Amino acid sequence: MGIQKDIVKFNVGGRIFQTTATTLANAGRNSFFGALFDDNWDLQQQQPNNRQEFFIDRNPDCFAILLDLLRTGDLYIPSNVPERLLYKEAAFYGLIDHVRSAKWGPFDGNRLKLSKSVTGRAPGDGTAIRAGPDGGCCVAHGSMVHVFDWILEEHPPINLDYQRVNDIGWVNPENVLISACERLGRGDGGMGLFSSSTGDLRYKFNVVHDNQVKSYTAGALSFSPDYKIFASCKGRSNEYGIGVWDQVTGKQIDFFYESPGWSLGDADKLQWLNGSNCLLVATLFPRKDNCYMSLLDFREKRMVWSWSDIGAPLTVDEKRVRDAIAMEECNSVCVVNEYEDLGFIDLRISGGSVRWSSRSKLMKGKMPDEPCYPKLALHNGQLFSSMNDCISVFCGPDWVLTSRLRRSYGGSICDFSIGGDRLFALHSEENVFDIWETPPPPVI
Amino acid sequence: MSNQKKRNFQIEAFKHRVVVDPKYSEKTWNILEHAIHEIYNHNASGLSFEELYRNAYNMVLHKFGDKLYSGLVTTMTAHLKEISKAIEAAQGGLFLEELNRKWNDHNKALQMIRDILMYMDRTYIPNSRKTPVHELGLNLWRDNIIHSSKIHTRLLSTLLELVHRERTGEVIDRGLMRNVIKMLMDLGSSVYQEDFEKPFLEVSAEFYKGESQKFIECCDCGDYLKKAERRLNEEIERVTHYLDAKSEAKITNVVEKEMIANHMLRLVHMENSGLVNMLLDDKYEDLGRMYNLFRRVPNGLLTIRDVMTSHLRETGKQLVTDPERLKDPVEFVQRLLDEKDKYDNIISLAFSNDKTFQNALNSSFEYFINLNPRSPEFISLFVDDKLRKGLKGVSEEDVEIILDKVMMLFRYLQEKDVFEKYYKQHLAKRLLSGKTVSDDAERSLIVKLKTECGYQFTSKLEGMFTDMKTSQDTMQGFYGCHPELADGPTLVVQVLTTGSWPTQPSITCNLPAEMSALCEKFRSYYLGTHTGRRLSWQTNMGTADIKAIFGKGQKHELNVSTYQMCVLMLFNNADRLSYKEIEQATEIPASDLKRCLQSMACVKGKNVLRKEPMSKDIGEDDAFFVNDKFTSKFYKVKIGTVVAQKESEPEKQETRQRVEEDRKPQIEAAIVRIMKSRRVLDHNNIIAEVTKQLQSRFLANPTEIKKRIESLIERDFLERDNNDRKLYRYLA
Repeated sequence: MGIQKDIVKFNVGGRIFQTTATTLANAGRNSFFGALFDDNWDLQQQQPNNRQEFFIDRNPDCFAILLDLLRTGDLYIPSNVPERLLYKEAAFYGLIDHVRSAKWGPFDGNRLKLSKSVTGRAPGDGTAIRAGPDGGCCVAHGSMVHVFDWILEEHPPINLDYQRVNDIGWVNPENVLISACERLGRGDGGMGLFSSSTGDLRYKFNVVHDNQVKSYTAGALSFSPDYKIFASCKGRSNEYGIGVWDQVTGKQIDFFYESPGWSLGDADKLQWLNGSNCLLVATLFPRKDNCYMSLLDFREKRMVWSWSDIGAPLTVDEKRVRDAIAMEECNSVCVVNEYEDLGFIDLRISGGSVRWSSRSKLMKGKMPDEPCYPKLALHNGQLFSSMNDCISVFCGPDWVLTSRLRRSYGGSICDFSIGGDRLFALHSEENVFDIWETPPPPVI
Repeated sequence: MSNQKKRNFQIEAFKHRVVVDPKYSEKTWNILEHAIHEIYNHNASGLSFEELYRNAYNMVLHKFGDKLYSGLVTTMTAHLKEISKAIEAAQGGLFLEELNRKWNDHNKALQMIRDILMYMDRTYIPNSRKTPVHELGLNLWRDNIIHSSKIHTRLLSTLLELVHRERTGEVIDRGLMRNVIKMLMDLGSSVYQEDFEKPFLEVSAEFYKGESQKFIECCDCGDYLKKAERRLNEEIERVTHYLDAKSEAKITNVVEKEMIANHMLRLVHMENSGLVNMLLDDKYEDLGRMYNLFRRVPNGLLTIRDVMTSHLRETGKQLVTDPERLKDPVEFVQRLLDEKDKYDNIISLAFSNDKTFQNALNSSFEYFINLNPRSPEFISLFVDDKLRKGLKGVSEEDVEIILDKVMMLFRYLQEKDVFEKYYKQHLAKRLLSGKTVSDDAERSLIVKLKTECGYQFTSKLEGMFTDMKTSQDTMQGFYGCHPELADGPTLVVQVLTTGSWPTQPSITCNLPAEMSALCEKFRSYYLGTHTGRRLSWQTNMGTADIKAIFGKGQKHELNVSTYQMCVLMLFNNADRLSYKEIEQATEIPASDLKRCLQSMACVKGKNVLRKEPMSKDIGEDDAFFVNDKFTSKFYKVKIGTVVAQKESEPEKQETRQRVEEDRKPQIEAAIVRIMKSRRVLDHNNIIAEVTKQLQSRFLANPTEIKKRIESLIERDFLERDNNDRKLYRYLA
């Protein structure tokens, strides 16, 4: 038996640990251990006889947990160790990313488990919830936006001149974008970029019409991978349309004006389509009496596809489109009505009709008592639809209902969002949101 | 009043913040500052990483991040200022080495400092939007070292000097060069570009401007190109050795512009060594080099192509209009083929089969081949020559190669119908005289013509082949029916379909009695098997083999034409015959008779007849005898007829006229086809469309098209529009 040469002995806060340099290498170069074992620091020389221990002035219980994390890739936190303490220690060693990626697994709509419910203090109904790219989220209530990191610790709240928030979005893990109502005559409101960790306002976006800066109300938001921001905008002198800004410079680079008899500036939902390089703009009931959906090509300044229910026969009145999402792989737009019926519109033909797939006959003709907020989301080929207090998951080419996510209290789900391998659902009555995660892969 | 004194309760404000030792931050920072000094002084082995990391962590945790960060900036800046002095002090050649060594030291130190301050880098810096430690270290190095006034210009001039020395043949330390350039790149692409690349490109442009001027004065074109190519490769190599890969396009651009683009015309037209000379001397290597270099600059290839095209057109024009060359059609075509081969080789070996050059070559050939109206005839004659004798003993593949080359020339012809006419005539002669070397080769060429020009073009030619084949069968059938004829003279008849074959004025001569009887038998046999046909004899195209015994018993077999046979057979019954008598007996047309007598009486070695008086020409009063003294080494003697292989002037006129006549219906058919689909069309468009439709066969003459239109109007196929006289309408 050869003597293993890479055994390392640590004395952490008085407790002795033995491990190997190989195990510690899992921490990566950009960590305490990575630096410690770098040739520059010459660890061997500091442990002359190779058996002398290396002292670290930290908590031994947490060290044990983190060492096991490096050994197994799994995170197990015993009940006697406060989570916050562990995170603090992980931050010291530079292992916080390891902890995060071990905490929950890759997103799968059919394996989700409720991980936690977070109660807030904001008054009134929630407006929107948005998942951040690294597992955090932000929640808008009235004029305030509360930001949570992935540990679900709250950061300083954000507001834009205390104006009513219409939509929020993550530009990147560091920055949150808020769109808010304009305050007449004051130039307040519009759109602002905030630091997600400190809540500082970093940039305020302007709208320019005819070389004049105008105040405006910003509505729905969307982002494209080539660093553009899209927002539906309403100005006072009928300056309705979709504004486009550059994320890097913050400058307005385009404005698509609304044409008469159509709706862009009031849009509820914007969705950037990577395949066709177009923006889907949807204005839906009840914001307007009719629904308007269009696909804008900004390169040609043209509306390349549109759909509206103006003049549709009265018999389908009960089926008003409440939310829409484009599914580029299927060349269609999926829509949902207040009975959670899914419908599909062909994206290749302008002015086609909705092909409803009446799945929920139970709800037929029974208008829900409480206001409902059907919402749609698409993630990795799985379609999510919220209705009352639950979220349904649909899979496969025919969109079969495969799972239902329900939590007992909090009232209807008014918004939900998927990102950072987590699903966040915001309830309308109690001020609470749920976090759903996919557990780490099974042991065997 | 003292009673009234209220007791003042002093309630201490609750102190949320725990007061830490005010000297704490100072102490901790001192430890860290000391460590940074030790690291820069290569004295880090005594430092405890854990302690330093913990101290830095504590400073950030206790909200002294600002102090830590600004302390880092101050300390590092101070060290870099010292380093800057040390580098400035380095003498001459040691300057770069010192700079490089200090850079490596700084990088190592920076890495260690970053390790200690890792927690600050991760938490404090993003939240306070400061520059991360590593980037900060690079920026400070840039500002304090590279941009310090005493180093900045010295560094640039040292680097440029080294490049210059390498260009002039010295060996420099490329490794050091690479490290220093790499440093500039690490400091950011703008540092590399502004502080090195831009001046480097300027200096290079200057250098190559001077060098190219020097070269062009004293080198010939080939040498110059060699030098330019070498310089280009050197620069590309330099980039791979120690410059940023992105610089390659920029520096090669400079060399291309200075060494090639600026001297392009002068190089191409250089006396005694320019492009034309290279083409003349087949200098593939030089041409290839020119192609590869010129390809890199705008309009480079265009220049080469233009010069090549004009040279090719000039030489081609000389070739096809030189009266000397016109004497031998085979030689004429062979020269064209040689020229084509030459340029094909140049394009494939030197110009990497560039499509645009091939097109230029084709258009040039098309241009000059059609300058000579006799080209179609000559090409057909060339084929005739090859198929008669030229291809004997040549392998099948080689035959195909030659035929393909001929087809290529054929493609250049504008008057393909003229070629067809001649080809038909020549083919007829070959077939009837049985002179064709290979049936396969003949058929192969026809297949090629068919793929090139369509079924219509070759249907008559194919008809000729069919006639030959059926004639064979017919003859077999004839002799099968008449076994009694086996003893007499053998008759071979080729039954030719009128129309498929070139029309010949049908002048019959009087055949000898035994032959005419045989012919009558054949006629009745043939008409018996094929009803409704008419046979007429083309005696002017036949041949005969006759056995003759001369005065001293020499036996010979004479291979003669039908006319000659008729004449010779007369001597079976007479010793002496006058010209008049012969003419009367045979009724051969005078010009043909004279030629045939001439070939039998006046050609040495073939003179089976004797003539009185002995002269070169045949006179009306001449008398002829059998030449008893005729001798020949061979048993078989072939007596040719004196024939003009090339067409005589009147024949040419005639062919031309026939071609023109044949074109008329084709033009008319095209006009009608076009008008039928378009209904109304103006004059210019009709001309254009007709020309386009017919160009696979010939180049239609606009005046001729106009005549045809007029003729069609007369015959009520078309009418002119009443309002616009330029418009024609189709009348169904």
